[in-house]
Amino acid sequence: MEQGYLLIIATSLAIGLIAGFVMHRADFCTTASFRDLFLFRDFFLMRQMILLIVVSMVLFEFGRLSGLISLYPFPLLGAPSLANIVGGFIFGIGMVLAGGCVVGSLFKMGAGSLASAAAFLGMLAGSAYYAEIHPQWSAFAKSTRLAKEAITLPQWLNLSPGALLLPLAAAGSLWLMREFRAGRMQRPAFALGHLAPWRAAVILALLGFASYVLIGMPMGITTSYSKLGAGIESLVAAGHVSNLEYFSLQPLNYTPPFSDQAIQGGPGPGLDAIAAIQFPLIIGIVAGAMVSAVRVGEWRLQWRIPRRQLLSALTGGLLIGLAARMAPSCNVWHLWGGMPILALQSLFFVAGLIPGTWVGARLLTRFVIR
Amino acid sequence: MKTIDIDIRGQICPSCLLLTLKELNLNSAAVRAGHTEIVVTTDDRQATTTIPVTVERMGFRSTVVRMDDGYLVRIFSNT
Repeated sequence: MEQGYLLIIATSLAIGLIAGFVMHRADFCTTASFRDLFLFRDFFLMRQMILLIVVSMVLFEFGRLSGLISLYPFPLLGAPSLANIVGGFIFGIGMVLAGGCVVGSLFKMGAGSLASAAAFLGMLAGSAYYAEIHPQWSAFAKSTRLAKEAITLPQWLNLSPGALLLPLAAAGSLWLMREFRAGRMQRPAFALGHLAPWRAAVILALLGFASYVLIGMPMGITTSYSKLGAGIESLVAAGHVSNLEYFSLQPLNYTPPFSDQAIQGGPGPGLDAIAAIQFPLIIGIVAGAMVSAVRVGEWRLQWRIPRRQLLSALTGGLLIGLAARMAPSCNVWHLWGGMPILALQSLFFVAGLIPGTWVGARLLTRFVIR
Repeated sequence: MKTIDIDIRGQICPSCLLLTLKELNLNSAAVRAGHTEIVVTTDDRQATTTIPVTVERMGFRSTVVRMDDGYLVRIFSNT
């Protein structure tokens, strides 16, 4: 295997292991950070999310200015369209019903949650199902595309990235410092081996930066859910899978840092660049969370789950899988990767995610947890 | 002293906090008067933070004890 792939696989695996461990110890849940705004008027986790975004903003901009980051904006981002908002909206509903987003479900599954495993299966099915509606959906995305030439907000405004990002990061830092001083960034915790969420936020921002520098883009995993889903589907309907246009696309085509060879990848079955970047990350997150849970003696199969919740997790997973392809990409990609460089797609995604979370919270308290 | 036991092991987030608050709201007068306490069994690490923080904001007290298969959160009167 060529050197470029080895670096990618090793980096992804290491980042996944650390991220899974850290998220389990800190209960770092993106879903909860949005959901609890509506359910409990609780801003605690949202503050941690803002910390993660501000630290990443500083790191990514430092990386760009120092030349450590050469691919800017990173691959797989594109022009924004209404599809990003609708995708974000459905994603928001799905993640609340599933009890966790794509990454959150992985670390909870690693710690033994059967509900999260159901959500995971739903995501695979939803991601594969997207291929059926891709022709119509991509036509919709194309016809509602805005700002054809711009990928980030600074590009759209004709500004250098730093002119917008640095003042924004400075304002964010001042606000966060005030929140720290007021004691609003920390709260008592009794779980064994607990890691303060603000520490997790900083570690996750550093991991995103490492991923950007070494692999050429921040953490993302959902394209490989299509790949896995398509792989499973092709066991029973190989002819149908190979006829679907979506599975033959190769949206990723780039030359990674520390390599001189371009690599390609897409959502179809098969081992390509997407598989090399994302599968080790998925395996790492699940294994990292598992190690963390075992070490505090808390790994156990959580199987006594009410049927209504199991159904909700599965449905939520389906919606997440579908929405992650419609958007495209998941909340972690957009929040931890796109927001720090003010990618327009990510801003649109979050604009849809917030009302989607609200709807999800209403459905959850009405039909699922009663 | 009456004890209301609720077992929320294995359920999805945020069942722990929602079901605890529901039980607490149903029995708030009795808990406040000191006749009743609520004991929650959970394996959700997050709930060991969110339940104490929320019930203390409502004027109750709580303790968290780790057991073999999860955590016990006790909610009782402030007085």
